[in-house]
Amino acid sequence: MIVRKLCMRQSRQLLALNRRAPAYSRFLSTETPVETAVQTPAKESPAPAENPLHQVVQASRESRKLKPRQQWNELEKRRHKFNTLGSAVQESYDPEDILRNPPKPSDITLEMLLAAGTHMGHSTSRWNPQNSRYIFGIREGVHIISLDVTAAYLRRAAKVVEEVAARGGIILFAGTRKGQKRAVVHAAELAKGYHIFERWIPGSMTNGQQILGHCETKVVNALDEELPEFKVDLADRPSVKPDLVIVLNPLENVVLLHECGLNNVPTIGIIDTDADPTRVTYPIPANDDTLRGTSLIAGILGRAGEAGQKRRLEMAAEGKTDYEPITARQLRLDPLTGLPPPGSELEKGQQA
Amino acid sequence: MARPTPNGLAQAFQALRLHSSTTSRPVTRCLARQTRTYATEVEGQQPSALATEEQAPAAPEIDFSNFSRRPARIVPASPSYFSGSPRFIDHVLKLESLQAKYASLPTVAAGDAPRMAWFKFAQFRDYVGEPVPMKKYKSLVKILQRLNRIQPEMVPREVKRTLKSFLRPGNPYAVQYVQRTVDENGRARAKGKRKESIAVVQLVEGEGEVLVNGKSLVEAFQRVHDRESALWALRSTQRLDKYNAWITVRGGGVTGQAEAITLAIGRALLMHEPALKPVLRKAGVISVDARRVERKKPGHVKARKMPTWVKR
Repeated sequence: MIVRKLCMRQSRQLLALNRRAPAYSRFLSTETPVETAVQTPAKESPAPAENPLHQVVQASRESRKLKPRQQWNELEKRRHKFNTLGSAVQESYDPEDILRNPPKPSDITLEMLLAAGTHMGHSTSRWNPQNSRYIFGIREGVHIISLDVTAAYLRRAAKVVEEVAARGGIILFAGTRKGQKRAVVHAAELAKGYHIFERWIPGSMTNGQQILGHCETKVVNALDEELPEFKVDLADRPSVKPDLVIVLNPLENVVLLHECGLNNVPTIGIIDTDADPTRVTYPIPANDDTLRGTSLIAGILGRAGEAGQKRRLEMAAEGKTDYEPITARQLRLDPLTGLPPPGSELEKGQQA
Repeated sequence: MARPTPNGLAQAFQALRLHSSTTSRPVTRCLARQTRTYATEVEGQQPSALATEEQAPAAPEIDFSNFSRRPARIVPASPSYFSGSPRFIDHVLKLESLQAKYASLPTVAAGDAPRMAWFKFAQFRDYVGEPVPMKKYKSLVKILQRLNRIQPEMVPREVKRTLKSFLRPGNPYAVQYVQRTVDENGRARAKGKRKESIAVVQLVEGEGEVLVNGKSLVEAFQRVHDRESALWALRSTQRLDKYNAWITVRGGGVTGQAEAITLAIGRALLMHEPALKPVLRKAGVISVDARRVERKKPGHVKARKMPTWVKR
């Protein structure tokens, strides 16, 4: 190789070794790289005790030394102090509100239902023609459910729940879709009912002794106080069946609805435009795919149940019942044959 | 295709009227039934004032004590009765409500939280009395662990009480590890295992005599490598001539026995001189080799080897 050529080739690279990589700051910043005079000359820093920043630093240092409880209390105090600052927002949507404090049936408005999105049906191609009377129209290929109908049916369902609760009925809230758990549990809590937020075990009603046989039951008086002396009589009794079932997603709970039909248990269900309204006793035409909508409906029905239970307990406090209470004699009888157990006082009384 | 119904409102009203007539019937029936019920007849309760005639005399005073003692209904004990596993679901709901209630309390890292021995799966099933699947048990333990991570000084009393109810009896983490020491005769006794072999070593201060099952080391181990590895703990710390070892070793083959002795001597030496720990750790004589022979599986020739594939 010719040495001259080598120098020519390699010297540029050798030179480049020591050179800084060009940084095109022009492209990185919008400001001109011209040095400007400092506009606000730095003040003489005052004594460290008076500097607010210094105080904050000191305080944080001290708080690090504090025990966790004190630290927490400090934090809470500060949070409480600053929470009151700023502007107050008058009307805002809080998703927790429906869950924590659901409206009463008397508070139902079309605006509320619209805001919860209960009017949105399914694509027109998926409709069930039996729902035609609940449908208001079509918008962008989607059925719109008539909200005045929804409100009317919801009020009717609320009335049913209230009356069943007032008569001491067992109300079961079922919402097995993901995210419906809290609404279902809270509604059941309000209505003093029962809840299912996981799978309905097929046969819980038709084969109840096998599936729910081990689950505890109790005998209560009209004031809902447990009577432990009747515990003995509860053995070998058939499992309890609900008196009203509220289903938030009837499409996924076909088996539950079928068992309710077989056992003559009335049902309330949220019927979307693709569901069959004849599967439930009291349909509520509404969107069953929105959690906000289903939790609103569950909450309203829960509040209705609450009112019914209140009425029932008020009546019981006056010594009255709106339903036929089970008697001590009925409890003592054999649940299968309806005869008194052998060797008991009841049997002797019957023979005499 | 759907036909938009202009008279939807009218239809709805019609439907309402239809249904309201059906709904009103049971209500009236119930009200009528209220006047004479089986229970009231049998137990001698007066008919309620609501349903009587206008001219009826006032009802007598209520016997509250009797009324409250009379059974009225059979109801499930738990609101999750229909789920089939009510006790488990009640536990989960209770724990979840606690977690939500105290979500804002400060937490510590998972490693700094106090060690808790939760119920094992089978124990938990016994405790709940329901056949809970593994997956659900794990989700419950997850909530327990989250609650356990709350800053230990700030754990609310109810959380403490609840968490305590999920602990298995006899806290295994409360047992403190006791450092074993040399006995009154100056013997350090330690065990070591490797493969199928178990070695027990009694180590005393002495001149470097070693007896393995009553034989000398050369008789016990033919290979130089085995002899070397058996005494590696003493050799690596240059204490070959400072201790006498009396060893019993059972089971396994030559290599397993030699390496079981290594571990046992390492542990025994630690009892005499605890300060040697880092050296011994580095020499690899107090690290347990927990590998064992993998079992043979059906359909395999050995543990993992598959039979040769034959076309026909």
